[in-house]
Amino acid sequence: MSEAELARETEVTQGRYVYCIASCADELSLGNIGIEHAEVYMVSHKDIAAVVHACQAQPYESRNENEVKEWILNHNNVIDKASERFGTVLPFSFDAIVKGDDDAVKDWLSKGYEKLKQELERLQDKAEYTVKIFCDQNKLMDKIIGENQGLRELKAKIEKMPKRAAYLLQRKFELQVKDAYNVMRVKLAEEFASKIKEHVEEAEVEEKVSHLPESYKDKKLIAAFSCLVHKEKVKRLGDALGEINSQEGYAVRFTGPWAPFSFVKLEDI
Amino acid sequence: MEPSRLECDINDVLDKLLNKGLVLNADLIISVAGIPLLGVNLRAAIAGMETMLEYGMMEAWDKSTREWYTKEFEGRMAAPLAMGEEVIIRTFGSIWSSQGIINTWKPGFLYLTNNRLFLWRKETPEMLFEVSLDKIEGLMVKKENHFKKEREELYLQFNCGEVARIHASNVTELKQTIKMVVGKKLENRIVIPSERTPLPKGEEIVREEKTPYSCVAKTVGSKGRQDVK
Repeated sequence: MSEAELARETEVTQGRYVYCIASCADELSLGNIGIEHAEVYMVSHKDIAAVVHACQAQPYESRNENEVKEWILNHNNVIDKASERFGTVLPFSFDAIVKGDDDAVKDWLSKGYEKLKQELERLQDKAEYTVKIFCDQNKLMDKIIGENQGLRELKAKIEKMPKRAAYLLQRKFELQVKDAYNVMRVKLAEEFASKIKEHVEEAEVEEKVSHLPESYKDKKLIAAFSCLVHKEKVKRLGDALGEINSQEGYAVRFTGPWAPFSFVKLEDI
Repeated sequence: MEPSRLECDINDVLDKLLNKGLVLNADLIISVAGIPLLGVNLRAAIAGMETMLEYGMMEAWDKSTREWYTKEFEGRMAAPLAMGEEVIIRTFGSIWSSQGIINTWKPGFLYLTNNRLFLWRKETPEMLFEVSLDKIEGLMVKKENHFKKEREELYLQFNCGEVARIHASNVTELKQTIKMVVGKKLENRIVIPSERTPLPKGEEIVREEKTPYSCVAKTVGSKGRQDVK
């Protein structure tokens, strides 16, 4: 019995932290690449395997945000390594822990085998890409006002009035611009969606994008999509996005490949 | 244009790993039971739907989802109320818990009813603190430092001599309401007990060192629950 096996048998037998499920029949070790240098290894059933490390049967928790971030990056890194080696994997959320030892994992895999296998096949050769389309705020506002006669007239009126008297009108103007902006955004988002649609298997509109990268702070996010893309279509999607990116005032952020976080759909596993 | 992973920042990764990806069936996991220990911003995201709902992140949810949610979780999450007991205040709150070297805030829902004040954790269900109102002898709002920010906390003095330390979204209002419900005169000044945990008879301190936290009140018994009856 190796030292690692011994360690698994003795103290830390109650839990298995699950990174992802991969297409692999062998029970390999991936080395000490896990969270807090845990040894990551595969527990297999037939031709699928869970990528896990042995841990206590309790979630990873910390008050220290940086520590949590570190864990999460680490988790993602293991998923990346597994994807490199075994092709598309089914990624798990942070802190998913199976209660029990390797046998419990095997048992769980065998129960869910059909569904997991089917999902792995469905996602084979595909990866997730994130697309965010930004527009220069001033250009967008000019465009909105320029296209709307009512707003143009209101703006002209405000400019002629003394500042104080114009206060209420200015508020009204701002509200109307906001409404017009929302209409415009939906229109643009639909337009972009139709442009990328033919290059992706599936696309999901990201409704809530809470944080924007620093370099895009002066720009407005028009649309954000998570896309499931076949590896042979990535270039074409890139070309379509390149076209949008080259339009004046627009900027596209195209990241990937990611494991298909937004597209694994399994219930009751 | 080529896709890149170089310029993507940590937030992309966080978003995917916390909000997406597979989660395990409840029978198998221990997933997010201890939610609140994660960093404040990550907390809600990690905790998943139930907690998101509790934190009021529901704007985008349509009506049917709400109805489903209510039906699905109502029974399971309801705090245990006695017959005829009426809830007067229900708010998110936490209690300072000090057990040996573990000093922490335990969060849950703070209920003020016509005869009790208690802190109830829904997930996983546990009564974190409970006291009958007639045991309360004193109330004091005090400003304390909390992660470098000052905030108001409520100290409660019970007739058995113990002191509890509570935080809720509006401490002053909570204090006023408790006062009203209790209906008798309450002490405004509370002597906060020393940091030292009382020792069993015959035990002597051999060595003592200060920890960075100041544990102000001993509130929770050995089984993680305080009964001031």
